[in-house]
Formats: sequence, C-alpha cells, structure tokens
Amino acid sequence: MVLVLALGDLHVPHRAPDLPAKFKSMLVPGKIQHIICTGNLCIKEVHDYLKTLCPDLHITRGEYDEETRYPETKTLTIGQFKLGLCHGHQRQLDVDILVTGHTHQFTAYKHEGGVVINPGSATGAYSSITYDVNPSFVLMDIDGLRVVVYVYELIDGEVKVDKIDFKKTATATTHPAH
Amino acid sequence: MVKKRVPDWLNSSLWSSTPPPDEDRFNRYSSKPTTTTTTDDDDDVVSTTTTSTAGASASDPPRLNPPVPVPPPSLPPLRREISDDSRFSEDVVNGGPSAEDISRQAQLLSELSKKVINMRELRRIASQGIPDGAGIRSTVWKLLLNYLPPDRSLWSTELAKKRSQYKHFKDDLLMNPSDITRRLEKSSSHDNDESSYESRCLLSRSQITHGEHPLSLGKTSIWNQFFQEALRSILMVFAKLNPGIRYVQGMNELLAPLYYVLKNDPDEENVACAEADTFFCFVELLSGLRDNFCQQLDNSVVGIRSTITRLSQLLKEHDEELWRHLEITTKVNPQFYAFRWITLLLTQEFNFADSLHIWDTLLSDPEGPQETLLRVCCAMLILIRRRLLAGDFTSNLKLLQNYPPTNISHLLYVANKLRTQPSA
Repeated sequence: MVLVLALGDLHVPHRAPDLPAKFKSMLVPGKIQHIICTGNLCIKEVHDYLKTLCPDLHITRGEYDEETRYPETKTLTIGQFKLGLCHGHQRQLDVDILVTGHTHQFTAYKHEGGVVINPGSATGAYSSITYDVNPSFVLMDIDGLRVVVYVYELIDGEVKVDKIDFKKTATATTHPAH
Repeated sequence: MVKKRVPDWLNSSLWSSTPPPDEDRFNRYSSKPTTTTTTDDDDDVVSTTTTSTAGASASDPPRLNPPVPVPPPSLPPLRREISDDSRFSEDVVNGGPSAEDISRQAQLLSELSKKVINMRELRRIASQGIPDGAGIRSTVWKLLLNYLPPDRSLWSTELAKKRSQYKHFKDDLLMNPSDITRRLEKSSSHDNDESSYESRCLLSRSQITHGEHPLSLGKTSIWNQFFQEALRSILMVFAKLNPGIRYVQGMNELLAPLYYVLKNDPDEENVACAEADTFFCFVELLSGLRDNFCQQLDNSVVGIRSTITRLSQLLKEHDEELWRHLEITTKVNPQFYAFRWITLLLTQEFNFADSLHIWDTLLSDPEGPQETLLRVCCAMLILIRRRLLAGDFTSNLKLLQNYPPTNISHLLYVANKLRTQPSA
C-alpha cells in the first residue's frame, strides 16, 4: 500500500493565494509516501510546504515556475507501476501511469496501454481557457498490480471524493517501445 | 528532578490493562505535590526524603530552563498520529538540572560522541539516571537495548536495514486499509484494466461513501485508524511474529514508555521512524521478560511465580523482620502487589518521569532488567518498612498497591546497596 499524492497548477501567488483550507486540513504529514507535482507551483513556499507533507517530492517544470531547475519530465517506479510526470502532455513516455497537468481540469483516461491522469488545479486557479475551475487533486493507492485513484474535488465548498479502480495485467519485462 | 505531566493519550482507556477507575490512574501519574506523610518512615537503616518542590529549588543552582524535547513546530500534525488531542507538550513543573545532572549529561554526551562507544561505561553512567532535558535518552536506550551497535559508523546502515525490515513485517502480516477496501468491494463491474481494446476511453468513477478514503479524518474511518495506531501495529506485528506468546495485557504498558521516549527524539528522522525503532527495542526488552507473560510458565522455574518467590527470598535475606511481618503475620502474599510491579517494570507505581528514571537504571543492567528490578522492588519494601510493620493485612495491601511517592534517586541508591552483603 503506497500512497502517492498527485497535484499541480497551483499558480501561487499569482492566481490563487493558497490551497483551499479543506484540502490543507486533510493533507497531513505521515500518510503519504510520494508526491508528484505537475508544475506551476509557482513559488518556493509551495515547494517547502509540500516537502513538509512528504520528503519524497518530484516536480516537473511548468511555464510559470520560478524555479528553473525542475526537469521537463520525470519517470519513477513505484511498486509494480512505472509513472511518468510532465507538465503538458507527452506522448513519448513509456509508462503505465502518466500524470500531466496544464489544463486545470481533472481527467483520467486509458491511452495506449496505460492510463493518463490529470489532477487538475489544487487551488482552482483559472486556466488560459476558463475561470470555472474546481480545486482538485489526486491520491493514488498503489497496491500490487492495482491502483485506486482517489479524486478529491472541492465543489460548492464541499470536498467530494470519487475513486477509480485500475488494474494492470501481469507485467511483461519489457514494454513495447513507442 | 524534573517532573513532567503525562501526555493524556497515555492515560486513554484504550491502554488500560485491567480496569481501575481512570481517575485513579490519572492521579497516580499526575505530578501531585508530595506530602510529608512518608517522612515518618525514616528508620534506622535508611532515611528517606520525599521529593518536595520547595526543598529542591532551595538547593538547586539557578534554573537553566533546559530545552524541552518537543517536535519542531513545522510538524504539529504529526502528533495526530498519536492521539486525537495530540497533547505532547511537556510542562516542566519543577526545577532545572542539578550539578550532578549536568556532569552526567556531559559524560554521556562525551561517551556518545566516540567512534565506538564503550558500552560498559555507558551502562555505568546511564544507571545513575539520564538527564531529561538533553534529548539523549532516546539514543541511550536504543544502545542499551542493543538496537544501535556501539560502532557509530554502522548506525545508518543498521537503522535503514531494521526500518525496512519492520516495514516488510507490516506489509506481510498486517492487513492494511487497501486490503480491507478491496475485500469489502463487490467484484467490480466497472473494472478498468489494461487489456481493453479501446485506445482512449474515460475511466469510470464511483463515488466514495462514508468518508472511506486515505485522507479521511473521520474517527470511524479505517484509514484514519490505520494511521493513528502505531502502537497497535507494533503490538500486532509482535503478536504475529510470536505466536507462542501473542499479545498479553500489560505489554502495552511496557511499550508506551519506549515509544514515548523514541518519539521525543530531537532528530526529525528518528521521530518519523519511531514506530519501527520502538518495535525492535520492544522485542529486545521483552526477550528477557517473555517468561513473565507466558501463562504456561507461571508455575515453572522461570515463570512469574518463581520470580516473585525470589523477591520474597531477597526480602528475607535483607530484612527478615519485615519479611516475617508481611508474609507470615499479616499474610500479605507478594503476588497481590509484586505481580504488577514485576511484569510491568514498575510503570504503574510511579509517575511517568520517575518511571523513565527507573527504567534508565533497569535498562542499564547488562544482564537484563530483572535482577535490578528485584532489588528495586525489595528496596521499595524496605523504604516503607515502618508503615508496613505497623500495618495489618488491609492497610499494608492498600499501601503496596498504591505505593507512595518517593525520592527515586534514593530508592535506586538503596537498591544498589542490596547488591552487597545482606544487612544484619
């Protein structure tokens, strides 16, 4: 049972002051093993805050991030799953779960043998497309070949939680190259 | 002597082994102002003074306000793991360190900074008591319990190995909320697996009911309970690894001080790994005491009854008059009081800070705590001999089951003296 927090597009402080209080009250240290962040934090204070939740923090760079040294993409293996992380969409990453951001809209769909998850904007920051953004983030419970994706959304002031079940078929040692 | 308020979670009824009324236990642990009722127990052989706040401050050097080991403020939510009320603050009720404390602290720090620690020397210093404010008790206990090796260069690898091992124990032996939710679910008709042929389709979502998600703060949530129960996890892993002994009521009382001390380590990483570290220290501690918890051994040569008999004999050697009065005349069977003293390593008989001090001495014994423990128990009897000699069955039993507050340093001094020839 490994818990992985996926979030991004916070745009603090330019478009939002902070995470919603109801999110912050749930995000306490000691529960989460990894954090993956799709970028656009944008400032160091957010980085430091995430670090207090969990020391294993992975961030890819969004176009507004002040820190220029975040990588464009990142891959990591957690349990049986290979995860990929990037700000915008990346077709080349050969992973089981691709986490990507930029649109500020939560989505989760199957694609070419893997799964793509966009955790949306954790602060509800407006995007280039729309102002109507519900704050959201994702918590993945990776347990063997199974992932349960918990989707946390703040809708009309209340936190709604959905979940998505995803199973990986027993893995071959090599993935087909894309 | 620094007295500290016991964190409330320790007194939670969750941990009570037998049900004495909660108030009683709280009173036992609270740092009540000591009365002078015990002073008339001064007797010919030994003289006792009670821990009196007035007395202590008169002779102490100017207070230094030692740094109280509290987790740094950036991590307050971590305390939620421990209890709902997360009361981990320590109120320093009384006094700064004495000159002896400072000297002992310096000696300990000096010993701990060596590349290879001299365990004999460490035991010698630690048996006199580990100063509370220095934040070193956690490290010293880990050394005394053979969790950390004396060679400091090996510490990081050892810790990493052990902590990983504990994690594997938990994963293998305990059911986590992931497993539980999986079993509770009906076979998912909306199972999304990789073998679907569609190249791109939305994954179906289902709504969560009853707050059953990992970040749930609800008290009934299995997730929330899972994160709160470090102590329960330790005991469960221990029980599963030791099917011959499993869990016996009282083990939690031995676990709590260990966890508390390790959780109050000034080093953040040690705090984060306190559960795993405590597990191994607990195993080591229990290795010498297992026989006390094994019912089949109760009547054997190594079981608790035999140990109590040894206490009895020890008393007879050192104070035959008291022994005779207690066991023969007033028929106070030592099982009525010593059972708890011995199996729970005196955690129930003194306030929390004093218990820790006693444990410093018990854990310093290279042969395991039991020998020293018997001497301390014997000393406890001797120190109140006057009252016991004047009492009958009822008053003596009451006294022994509610042992009066005592100057711990003095108690341990007397216990140490019992190593030598029995008094005439």
